[in-house]
Amino acid sequence: MKRIPIFVLSCLLSVPVIAEEVDKTLDAAADGHVEVSNISGSITVSGWSKNQVEVTGTLGRNVEELVFERDGDQITIRVKVPGNSGHRHGIDSDLHIKVPQGSSVDVGTVSADIDVTEVTGDQGLRSVSGDIATESTGADIEIESVSGNVDIVGDLAEGEVEASTVSGDVTLLRIAGEVEADTVSGDIIIDAGSFDRAEFSTVTGDIEYRAGLSKGGRLDVETINGGVDIEFVGEVSARFDIDTFNGQIRNCFGPTAERTSKYAPGWELEFTTGDGDGRVDISTLNGDVKICNE
Amino acid sequence: MTDENMTHENEDKLLAAARKLSTEISPGRDLWPGIAEAIENPAPRRWTPMLAQAAAVMLLIGASSSLTYVIVKEQQPTQITGTPTGMIFEQTSFANRYSLGPGFQDARDALANDLQTELVRLSPESRANVETNLMLIHEAIAEMNNVLEQEPDNALLQEQLLRAYREELGLLRRVSGLTRNIMMRNDI
Repeated sequence: MKRIPIFVLSCLLSVPVIAEEVDKTLDAAADGHVEVSNISGSITVSGWSKNQVEVTGTLGRNVEELVFERDGDQITIRVKVPGNSGHRHGIDSDLHIKVPQGSSVDVGTVSADIDVTEVTGDQGLRSVSGDIATESTGADIEIESVSGNVDIVGDLAEGEVEASTVSGDVTLLRIAGEVEADTVSGDIIIDAGSFDRAEFSTVTGDIEYRAGLSKGGRLDVETINGGVDIEFVGEVSARFDIDTFNGQIRNCFGPTAERTSKYAPGWELEFTTGDGDGRVDISTLNGDVKICNE
Repeated sequence: MTDENMTHENEDKLLAAARKLSTEISPGRDLWPGIAEAIENPAPRRWTPMLAQAAAVMLLIGASSSLTYVIVKEQQPTQITGTPTGMIFEQTSFANRYSLGPGFQDARDALANDLQTELVRLSPESRANVETNLMLIHEAIAEMNNVLEQEPDNALLQEQLLRAYREELGLLRRVSGLTRNIMMRNDI
């Protein structure tokens, strides 16, 4: 009977059963660079007014350690897990990171959601399986996900945005400047904003555009299997070139489409509005195109 | 007569009898049937010592090589063979009249050849997603080629077909980039 409590105690001591709480802070440059790596769990990054980087949250019970170190203007935050695959359980770590607002951030995960707010520096956000959400304030943003949605909310400050996902939707709200978004399976939704250059493409999915086009701006939209619905906000002065292999074209601007071929079910439409200094190219293989302005 | 005299007399008798015995015994003829003939005319030998040694060496080399092959084969990662249904990469063509040039074709072939290896690194859902979309592109390409055969000089159709090939190439490149990204993330 005396052996039982000893046995139980040994088991308890040998196996970590609870996640480890984290609360660490380092001084940081106001416009430094912060790199974050977390295989699994979640990552939220928010900007604040202090010249410090703070990490709070919980580490999975099988996490080896949290690397949190500074080298000049660079801060590295990395969740280190055992190398053998047998410990892929119990490594979920949820990190809440506060960085100086002017920092640039680079976040990489395998299976984790990423959420960034109030960061004004450049952002590089990558996830294999996880949703990515961030805010745009005019800096460069590059987002890549394999399986997950991408959401970017801006304040109409001009910047360069690239968003790419294989399986998931891309939503861009109040973005301006230059944007490139593509998805293999998923929709692309652009709401508000105005662009000097915008490229959107999907293989299977619809593209909805409710935004303006800058003077002399260029809009390129391509789908293989999906419809395109464009509603320009404000005046548009551009040359339009629209074609489908198999799909209708509905145009509010006036000119009507013509058949591309008597052997194919597609349509084509070319026309000009205003001075024609901008350029709008829309192409679908299988999908309808609807183009209007407010 | 004493016992000692008796013993000596017996010994002498034994010795005399032994001397009368023949000192050699010849075997009867045909103790083994045909042996005389065999000795007279020996049969030609099939195996010379040199030949036997050579055979032994070959056997040793063969056994060693076979063993090495089995061991190496077991250590090699399983190669993916076969192509998913519909994932046939036809030669690029424009209504069977033109091709897109060796440069494009080489790039496409290289990416298509790497595709199976790359797909294995994706999750089952992502893999199915990519395969489905590649098949959709191939179907569109086939459909457009059929139409172009009716109207081979239709510039817009050619442009649409070219765009479809570009989409295919773009997707193949993205898959390649994705798996590199996955490998990098797994190294975290």
